Amino acid sequence: MLSFFSPARRGSGLGTALPALLLLLAFFVIPVAALLSRSITEPELGLHNYRTLLGSATYLQIFLNTFMVSAVVTLITVLIAFPVSWALAIMPPRLSSVIFAIILLSMWTNLLARTYAWMVLLQQTGLVNRILMGIGLTDRPLQLTNNLVGVTIGMVYIMLPFMILPLYGVIRKIDPAVLQAAALCGATRGQALRRVLLPLAAPGIASGALMVFVMSLGYFVTPALLGGTSNMMVAELIVQQVQSLVNWGMGGAAAFVLLVITLAIYAVQLRVFGTEVR
Amino acid sequence: MLLDFDKLGAWKWILSAVCALMALFLLLPILFIVALSFGDSRWLIFPPQNWTLKWYGELFADPRWLAAAWTSARIALIVMVLSVVLGLLASLALTRGTFRGRAVLRAFFLTPMVLPVVIIAVALYAAFLRLGLNGTLAGFVIAHLIVALPFSIITISGALETFDPSIEDAAILCGASPWEARFRVTLPAISHGLFSAAIFSFLISWDEVVLAIFMASPTLQTLPVKVWTTLRQDLTPVIAAASTLLVALTILLMIVAALIRKGKSR
Repeated sequence: MLSFFSPARRGSGLGTALPALLLLLAFFVIPVAALLSRSITEPELGLHNYRTLLGSATYLQIFLNTFMVSAVVTLITVLIAFPVSWALAIMPPRLSSVIFAIILLSMWTNLLARTYAWMVLLQQTGLVNRILMGIGLTDRPLQLTNNLVGVTIGMVYIMLPFMILPLYGVIRKIDPAVLQAAALCGATRGQALRRVLLPLAAPGIASGALMVFVMSLGYFVTPALLGGTSNMMVAELIVQQVQSLVNWGMGGAAAFVLLVITLAIYAVQLRVFGTEVR
Repeated sequence: MLLDFDKLGAWKWILSAVCALMALFLLLPILFIVALSFGDSRWLIFPPQNWTLKWYGELFADPRWLAAAWTSARIALIVMVLSVVLGLLASLALTRGTFRGRAVLRAFFLTPMVLPVVIIAVALYAAFLRLGLNGTLAGFVIAHLIVALPFSIITISGALETFDPSIEDAAILCGASPWEARFRVTLPAISHGLFSAAIFSFLISWDEVVLAIFMASPTLQTLPVKVWTTLRQDLTPVIAAASTLLVALTILLMIVAALIRKGKSR
């Protein structure tokens, strides 16, 4: 009478997970496996798609763009997120709750709405260029969209919350007494920051940075809208191969390379930090 | 010292300034599109000379925008229900089952969340081309369900882990049938987790772009797909109007979520 997750049989219980499991097998595992297998079967059996992908300057440039943008975005978000999370962790709650509300609002606002805002702000006649000219930093409009500068700005905007939230959690858990001890031992503020606070926050910085980096690697929407067609990143390459060129072999190969890099970085994160992703 | 806001000295002002600048950086683009949507400049000159509602007029006059919003809403509601039901069932197995490979199964359930969504989109597109699911409501629902489910499972498992199953046992000992105990004891106790999972799932589906671009057909598209195709042509202020309505919806859902959290902590 008692069913699978009631007291008498709490020992088993895989049963209720079956619907979700079947759904993922049918519409996630098999399609992804099928896509990857096409990279070695189309147009004919072999590794020539990978040879083309890794052997041509055009495709290497795309991978280089992807790594460059992801690295710069990660660096900038770390530089902004560290002081912000530090301040959030020690601010009076009234102030920090306002900032958290703003962070959540920007995170939850429709991705296309946010990207649209940047497309308008960064265009030749846009507000950013007019301000830059107004304060005399430049005498003619800078090219800020349809290139990797625009992509970087748009991506930093999107990734910041993903850096701030975990880092805040880590700094929040640091015992203030440790820093008092540093002060009692005669450390100056700079020394305490360099030799106590930063090392204690380092795991948070590293895991946040890895997450932002890996999310940036596979990002599609912002690069496609702010980067223009001549500055592609890997996700756009996959879409272009499949949608415009109907070249499933190359699309699958690019997807496989992106997948391997993504999983490798998560594996490093699991190994080094021993925590689950997110 | 460094973790005491009042003893930071001059650093307190530096940190506060960085925080304020970052808050402005995050907030300004959102305020900017709201302002643009009420401005009269087709060329998006800021600040606008005059205020107008004509972009909202254009938005509502075009049946394709309304049709897209309706499609989005239907898909998001179906995804929300399925994601909570499947998520609850899977979470029960993950938190209460003791079968081997439970941790592996949990990691497996979360993989769609960590893989680049573009890979899932292209893979599903290929599969759906064969199955004839492209451009159908079912195709959208399945695609969105795959990426919404991990969030649902995380939220509901979290709620289940804080609920002591012996309370359910107690109800059964007091004469409740197992199903009665589950519906009248366990579900109410984790209702905040179910509500959060529902809101998350709805928002994920409602806002999802990449999968939707691949699932869409000329006759069936969601709101983000409509925004996307319009954006690729020009930066018309009609998009600002649509975006502003989306921001309003986001704020509404944030307030609902905050009220749920408040209800939970009380």
